[in-house]
Amino acid sequence: MSLAPEDRLVLARGVRVRFDPVRNCHVLLAPERVLFPCPTSVEILGRLAEPRPFAELVAGLAAEFDAPEEEIRADLEGLLADLVAQHVVRVERRGP
Amino acid sequence: MNAIPREPWREPPIGLLAELTHRCPLACPYCSNPLELTARERELSTEVWLRVLEEAAALGVLQLHLSGGEPTLRTDLEAIVARARALELYSNLITAGVGVSERRLEALAKAGLDHVQLSVQDVDPEGCDRIGGFKGSLARKVAFARAVRALGLPLTLNAVVHRHNLDRLERFVELALELEADRLEVAHVQYYGWALANRAALMPTRAQLDRSVEIVKAARERYGDRLLIDFVVPDYYATHPKPCASGWGRAVILVAPDGRVLPCHAAPTIPGLDFPSVKDRPLAWIWHESPAFQRFRGFEWMQEPCRSCPRREIDFGGCRCQAMQLLGDPEATDPACSLSPHHARIRALAEAEAASAPPPFRYRRLAEPAAAVPA
Repeated sequence: MSLAPEDRLVLARGVRVRFDPVRNCHVLLAPERVLFPCPTSVEILGRLAEPRPFAELVAGLAAEFDAPEEEIRADLEGLLADLVAQHVVRVERRGP
Repeated sequence: MNAIPREPWREPPIGLLAELTHRCPLACPYCSNPLELTARERELSTEVWLRVLEEAAALGVLQLHLSGGEPTLRTDLEAIVARARALELYSNLITAGVGVSERRLEALAKAGLDHVQLSVQDVDPEGCDRIGGFKGSLARKVAFARAVRALGLPLTLNAVVHRHNLDRLERFVELALELEADRLEVAHVQYYGWALANRAALMPTRAQLDRSVEIVKAARERYGDRLLIDFVVPDYYATHPKPCASGWGRAVILVAPDGRVLPCHAAPTIPGLDFPSVKDRPLAWIWHESPAFQRFRGFEWMQEPCRSCPRREIDFGGCRCQAMQLLGDPEATDPACSLSPHHARIRALAEAEAASAPPPFRYRRLAEPAAAVPA
C-alpha cells in the first residue's frame, strides 16, 4: 500500500485504544477483537481519533521523535499497511 | 480423573459473555442456550449484574458481550451499558433486532454502547421467519440494521448457516454490503444445546460446506477492504478441532441468567463439575481457583494423542463438551480431530444425516412442548 501525502487516516469505526492497568499495557478494542499493539502503534493510533493527512502524521512524529521525515515515512507505510489490512485504520482518499 | 492440586490460574479473562436472560422472541433451532432454560423469576437482579461488571473489570475483562436470549428484553440494559462504559469495558450487544425501537437503540447508544451484532437467520423472508419462528422478522431486522448505522454504531451481521440457508450465502454477503455492515460472521452451526437436538435437521452436505468456503474466499478478495468476514467451519467435517472458547477457562468467562459462572455455554453438560454462582462467590475466585475452571486447564488431564501433540497449545484438544457429548468422556480427544480414533465415525454420521430428508425442527422454547413445524 502506498500512501499519498493528502490521504487521510483515521481509526476504523468501533476501534478504541486504552491502557489496561491489569495487564500493564495498551489494548486495542474492536468489534469481537482485542489486540495488543506495540508502543509505536499506540503512538500512531493515538493520533488518529480524527482523520489526519498522512503528511501531517509524518511531520508530527518526525518533530516528536526528532527524526528525519524520510525515515519516519518509510517506517510508517509498512506499519499502516498492516493496520489497514487488519481493519484497525481506515484510509480516506479523495476521488479518483 | 486427575485431581491435581494446582496453583491459581494467572491469566485474566478477555471477554465476559453476559447472558442476561433466556427469554427471546425467536425460537431458532440451533440456539446455544441449554435445553433447560432459566425462567424470568430466576434471573439476576440489576444490582448483581452491576457488581459483576465491577468485578469483571477488576479481573481484567476487556470486552462485555451482552447476550441471551434477547438482552434487550431486560429493561435495565441501559444501566448495564452505562456501567460498562464507566468501567471502560467494550460493550457488544448481541441481538435478534426484532423488537427494538429506534428510541431504545438511541438510548443504548447514548449510554455508551460500542458495537451491535445482529443475527440474520436467512436473507429470504420466508426462510427467516421459518428458522426463527417469528413472522415478519427480516423486514424488522433490516430496519433495525439501518437504525444502527444511522446512529453511527459499528455493525456486525451474524449469519448462522446450515443446510436450509447455505444456498443463499452469496446474498448474505450482498445484504451485509447493502446495510453497510462492518463485519459479517458466517458461522456454521456448532452442535450443542438445541442445535445438537436438531442436528439432523441442520447438518449441511460436504458439497454445501465446500461451496461456502469458496464463496467466503471470493467475497474476501472482492470486498475485503470494506467488509471483514469471519468464518466458522462445522466441526464434524473439520480436520483439526476448534480451540473451543480459546481453551477451557483461558479467555472467556460466561455468566448465565441465573448467575452460574461457566467457561462456555455447554459446560454444564459435563457431569461432576460444580459451577459456582456470582451470588455466592467473587468472580476472581471462580476464575482463578474454582475446581470447575481449573479442571481442563494446562495439559495434565489430556489423553493421547493430545498429550504429546504439537498442536496441543493451538487447539487444546478441541472441545471438552463435544468429547463428552459424542464419546461420553470429557478428557478424550475431540472427535472433530482427524487424529481421534472416532473421527471417521463422526464424519460418516454427518454425511448420513445430511444425505437424509431433514426432520422437522424442534424449536427452542421456554416451555415444552413446541409444535413441530415441517422444516
